[in-house]
Amino acid sequence: MPLKILVTSKRVEDPEALILVKADGSGIETQGLSYRINPFDEIAVEEALRLKEEHGGEVVVASIGAADCVSEIRVALAMGADRGIRVDHEGPLDPGMVAAILQKLVEGEQPDLVILGKQSVDDDQNQVGQILAQRMGWARATFASKEESLESTAEKTRQCGLRLAADGTSIRVVREVDGGLETLELSLPAVITTDLRLNIPRITSVPGIMKARKKPVREIQVEELGIELQPAVIVRKLHSPSKRGGGLRVKTVQELWDKVHGEAGVL
Amino acid sequence: MDFTLSDEQKMLVNAVRQFIKEELKPLEDEVESTGLLAPEKARAIFEHSRELGLYAMNMPEEYGGAGLSAIDTMLVEEQFGHTSDILIRRAFGNIYEALLVCEGAQKERWLLPTVRGDRTCSIAITEPGAGSDAMGITTRAVKDGDGWLLTGNKHFISDGEYSDFFLVTAVTDPESTPKAISLFLVDKDSPGFTLGRNQVMMGLTGTSCNELFFKNIRLTRENLLGEEGRGMRICLQTLGRVRLAQVGARAVGKATHVLDLMVEYVKERKQFGKPIGDFQLIQQMIADSVIEVNAARLLLHRAAWEIDQGRDARDWISMVKVHAAETLGRVTDRAVQVFGGMGYCKELPIERYYRDSRIYRIFDGSSEIHRTLVARGATKFGAALYDVRA
Ligand SMILES: Cc1cc2nc3c(=O)[nH]c(=O)nc-3n(C[C@H](O)[C@H](O)[C@H](O)COP(=O)(O)OP(=O)(O)OC[C@H]3O[C@@H](n4cnc5c(N)ncnc54)[C@H](O)[C@@H]3O)c2cc1C
Repeated sequence: MPLKILVTSKRVEDPEALILVKADGSGIETQGLSYRINPFDEIAVEEALRLKEEHGGEVVVASIGAADCVSEIRVALAMGADRGIRVDHEGPLDPGMVAAILQKLVEGEQPDLVILGKQSVDDDQNQVGQILAQRMGWARATFASKEESLESTAEKTRQCGLRLAADGTSIRVVREVDGGLETLELSLPAVITTDLRLNIPRITSVPGIMKARKKPVREIQVEELGIELQPAVIVRKLHSPSKRGGGLRVKTVQELWDKVHGEAGVL
Repeated sequence: MDFTLSDEQKMLVNAVRQFIKEELKPLEDEVESTGLLAPEKARAIFEHSRELGLYAMNMPEEYGGAGLSAIDTMLVEEQFGHTSDILIRRAFGNIYEALLVCEGAQKERWLLPTVRGDRTCSIAITEPGAGSDAMGITTRAVKDGDGWLLTGNKHFISDGEYSDFFLVTAVTDPESTPKAISLFLVDKDSPGFTLGRNQVMMGLTGTSCNELFFKNIRLTRENLLGEEGRGMRICLQTLGRVRLAQVGARAVGKATHVLDLMVEYVKERKQFGKPIGDFQLIQQMIADSVIEVNAARLLLHRAAWEIDQGRDARDWISMVKVHAAETLGRVTDRAVQVFGGMGYCKELPIERYYRDSRIYRIFDGSSEIHRTLVARGATKFGAALYDVRA
């Protein structure tokens, strides 16, 4: 049964780059930064493409942001997604706002499945998938993973970690939980968020890169979606974690107690 | 003037970078210690690369390549420089643009299978008595009926062991001035062909360099590439871009790779209670390397841009050949110094990069030859070669 899948492809600062907070705490230094697709979203795109290769269907990739975030939509298109949607937005967004926008896209596109990264590596919030599922009233599974390791033949032969039931009405998700793996069977439509060990994203092929240029990317203004965006979370100021002071060696338990209880005032 | 890469260029660079990191880097040490790339591993990287469209990217799309512009070719070739010669050859191919001169049945026999990776070609110009002086060759193709009989020998032919055919320069008319040299496509299984020994080199472990012996090899018109007597002209017209890619761009990539390792090391290695990067004499080596690598890359892109404009870029290519190769030499030499004893020790790849780098100043025209060409260009074209064209 062909599946229509909506995936996200957020533009994030390259996690390997050096990130510095601006002196006035209003944000991070963007000069010289490079950007990439959120690694968890890349895994989501990969899984969606594998599902499509196995069952047929369509993969639609969405991102919210200014014009430059089209670059990351193109990466997903080069990997093999069919078309893109960019919701034009400048300025900060909190997870509730992102979920509200995505809800509108989901209502419009009516996919069988939405796959998102469990979090984006810039703010590490880990909320959008959950809020979106709640708003839609859909089944959800977070932290999708798989039983086989990333070195397994299952992964080398690019098998799907998410398993669609034979009748196409449900999907099995193995998810990472504290202390092990849990298997859920979700009825479709559903929202799934990806963890690191779900798959290894493919290297984009040269023909894929060339084709991406010609694939359509629709632009939507937030106003067109007919929603009021009210931030619930406002970032007032950023600062770097304070430097840890040097340690201290104590000779007796009494001395330890005096330091911890007396001087530091804890315990 | 915009130096930002387009989305496609970024994706292309990233794809090559990721392939090298995941597929090729893990094989480097084994190639270095065993002296060869195991055939089944060569096959595996070739198949994966071809599946991704990373093989023969420099070739036009109509023949199955990626049809990259000169600039894009240099961007990916620079990435190739981050790994070793033999891995580049097997994973990405080493396809000479001279093969595009193929016509009619030649295409099916030599060009197309080479782009597909079913056949491999080496270029055989150098002889024991003729290196820099490529016109000084003595290999002869003597007219015989409708074809020729090829006799002579070549040496230092890269990948000679693996390749199954050769682009060979041979004198077809010794009497004319200058003497007429032609290019022939010579199959390895031709009667009269003998593969000589592998001439072991200082570096480039895993790539064979062979002597070739030709004794009365019968060649037909189909073996002749382009017109008779035009061999050197074809070389001049098509080898420039290869040189820019395989020497210029790869030297920039290799220098970048080594510089990366140096920058990391000077932050971590501590002596006299502080990172060695705090010492000004070390800083000078880092600064000079950063400056020279960037200068070499700018010159490389300029030369590629000249090619994409359809202009004769030979003098620009010569400038890059000299500057990039010598930058690489200086950067790897500094790297050995910065790493100290570890730079000289085989436990780290620095000494290997040092050995691998040395040849860049020699093959494909030595620094002396290309300097001579640049000087000749300057006296001929004057300021057009070094001043702003306003
Ligand atoms: C690893 C390796 C791979 C190679 N691969 C190939 C290959 O695949 N195919 C191929 O055909 N060849 C190949 N070669 C040959 C290579 O291109 C030649 O070695 C190179 O052109 C120099 O020629 P030579 O070694 O004969 O040196 P020579 O020409 O003898 O030069 C010796 C010295 O004299 C200098 N010199 C010569 N003429 C002049 C001049 N007019 N002015 C100033 N100085 C001058 C040179 O710069 C050099 O310093 C390879 C060589 C090596 C080492």
